Amino acid sequence: MSEFRRQHPIAAVTQLFLVLRQNIVPIAIFLFVGSRNSGDFFWLILLFGLISTFILGGVSWYRFTFRVFEDELQIKKGIFVRKKLYLKKDRIQVIDITESIIQRLFGLVQVEIKTAGGGTEKAIISALSKEEATQLRAILRDQVDVEADADPNDNLQNIKDVESPLIFWKLSNRDLLYAALTSGNFGLIASILAALSGQIDQFITEENLNYIASILPGYSKLSTILWSILFVIILSYLVSFLGVILRYSDFKIEKKEKELLITSGLLERKHTTVPFNRIQAFRFVEGILRQPFGYGMLFVESAGFEQKENDRSIVMLPFVQKDFLRPFLDQFIGDVEVPETIIKPPKRSLLRYIRRPNYLLLIAIPIMWIFWDFAWSLFFLIIPFSLFGWLEYKDAEIRVGTRIIQLQYRVLAKTTALVRRKRAQASDLSMNPFQKRKNLASFHITAASGAGGKTFSVDDMDAVDAQNLLHWPLPESKL
Amino acid sequence: MSLPEQTSEIQLPTTRIHENAIKAWRLSSFFWGFTLYSIPGFLYFIFTVEENFSMLFPIISAPLTVIIHVLIFYVFPKIRWKRWRYNVGENGIDMQRGIIIIKRTVVPINRVQHVDTKQGPIYRKYGLSSISLSTAATTHEIPALDDETANSLRTLISDLVRKVKEDV
Repeated sequence: MSEFRRQHPIAAVTQLFLVLRQNIVPIAIFLFVGSRNSGDFFWLILLFGLISTFILGGVSWYRFTFRVFEDELQIKKGIFVRKKLYLKKDRIQVIDITESIIQRLFGLVQVEIKTAGGGTEKAIISALSKEEATQLRAILRDQVDVEADADPNDNLQNIKDVESPLIFWKLSNRDLLYAALTSGNFGLIASILAALSGQIDQFITEENLNYIASILPGYSKLSTILWSILFVIILSYLVSFLGVILRYSDFKIEKKEKELLITSGLLERKHTTVPFNRIQAFRFVEGILRQPFGYGMLFVESAGFEQKENDRSIVMLPFVQKDFLRPFLDQFIGDVEVPETIIKPPKRSLLRYIRRPNYLLLIAIPIMWIFWDFAWSLFFLIIPFSLFGWLEYKDAEIRVGTRIIQLQYRVLAKTTALVRRKRAQASDLSMNPFQKRKNLASFHITAASGAGGKTFSVDDMDAVDAQNLLHWPLPESKL
Repeated sequence: MSLPEQTSEIQLPTTRIHENAIKAWRLSSFFWGFTLYSIPGFLYFIFTVEENFSMLFPIISAPLTVIIHVLIFYVFPKIRWKRWRYNVGENGIDMQRGIIIIKRTVVPINRVQHVDTKQGPIYRKYGLSSISLSTAATTHEIPALDDETANSLRTLISDLVRKVKEDV
């Protein structure tokens, strides 16, 4: 690997598809609007666009060369502006291997190399054969694992040692199905609605609405609203069902010497490496559909360079029984302390917990009243909402050990976060005037996650308890 | 900061920031505050264009904006200054701030990645600097310290960080 070389030519094609995929919305609009108005001329433009993208892809494939030289991965790329990326082996943090659909057709993979420092420095080699990719990873990794300058044969030996998993865990097909069935993510409804409303504004015209209304049975303003809500709920349930199947099919987590390797996906296989020394926190989320069955999802927060909030947390176990959590952590991570001291919010904060979900009604009811004369009947929702508040109060809890802190709270899903003391980046306390009157405070702890941080919070703790907890992450403090 | 003793009452950090902070904040928020007047201005503009738009909106919002402006530039800086307290100890940095909601943050010293001092034109006029601390996840700022304190604090914090890191 010491000579500069190119990727597999298919990289030019994947580049093309990447560009198409990134611009799917403008292209769709272009097709939709353009095909009506401008005739042949339009197809010429489209053809020209496609060909030029393809040529650009080809040229950028031609200009992209890489090699491993001494202790560096060197990449030269760029069409008009030449860019040279030199990544030192010992600065490389994460090596991700992904197989998208197109790449899988040709038995290729994409290698993504992320380093520390300088913000988001990462290199993507988008088409390599599987063997080349594993070889590249081994070469880049072995220097990290083994300091000594060994001869090539020895290196191979090391590679084998590093590569073979110590233990592994697989998601069974039955669990995958259950995971998909219980994934009904109601947060998704909001995001789908938001995404759609941005795109389909032009379709929501008076005419279309009237037409839809006329074909719907038992039309009235109210029933249209109810039907569309039901429709969105079913649609989002299906979307999240399929999403889970696509993402977590054949999910596998392997423990290796210095890292965890997570592989999953049906159409697009993703391999994620999580080095043990980058692990910042664990988060167990029990969704409202899963909690009754004693199941949940385990995330790991790892310090890295992922900018997008959604991609930062890595899924460690997509569907797992709560009782299995401890044995799993003991086996795969090891040395995860069980925190003993329990601190709960005081009795006087119960009322605040019960009240909080009801503020939503305070806003929602007047708005509903515009559409619906019987909106007052929604006031009966106070009962379930208050019960939910009481549940939130019951679940709120902080457990402290000497080396680990556990924050448990419920927003909709119940979340249990575990943060090691030496990984807590900051602890906060906040107190609004109402909390101050009752001598209460909310406690937050922030761990690094991706390129930013992830904050875990428990509301309405006793102010003195919160203050004492505030100093817990400090070196040598005792509690 | 001789902290970790478990206490049964609230103990606030003790050091205050420089008193000139009030003047500096008042000056800057006095000028920033003028952007607020674009709201009644805009409402008045709509009133002149749109026939059905009630005159009441600009009439009510104008004095309201004046009140908010006064709050922002006269009242808030004082409260903010009163609330701001910090401590720098060998274990960590303790900061309290806030106007309506009180916030208190503790950053363990060994989590600090770098320390900067900063000074804008208004701060320079009053001989003030601010310090910002960055960790792997968060950034925190102690505003309005006099230049000398800011510089010595920056040196102190980076020395403490070095000391802790060497210990490990």
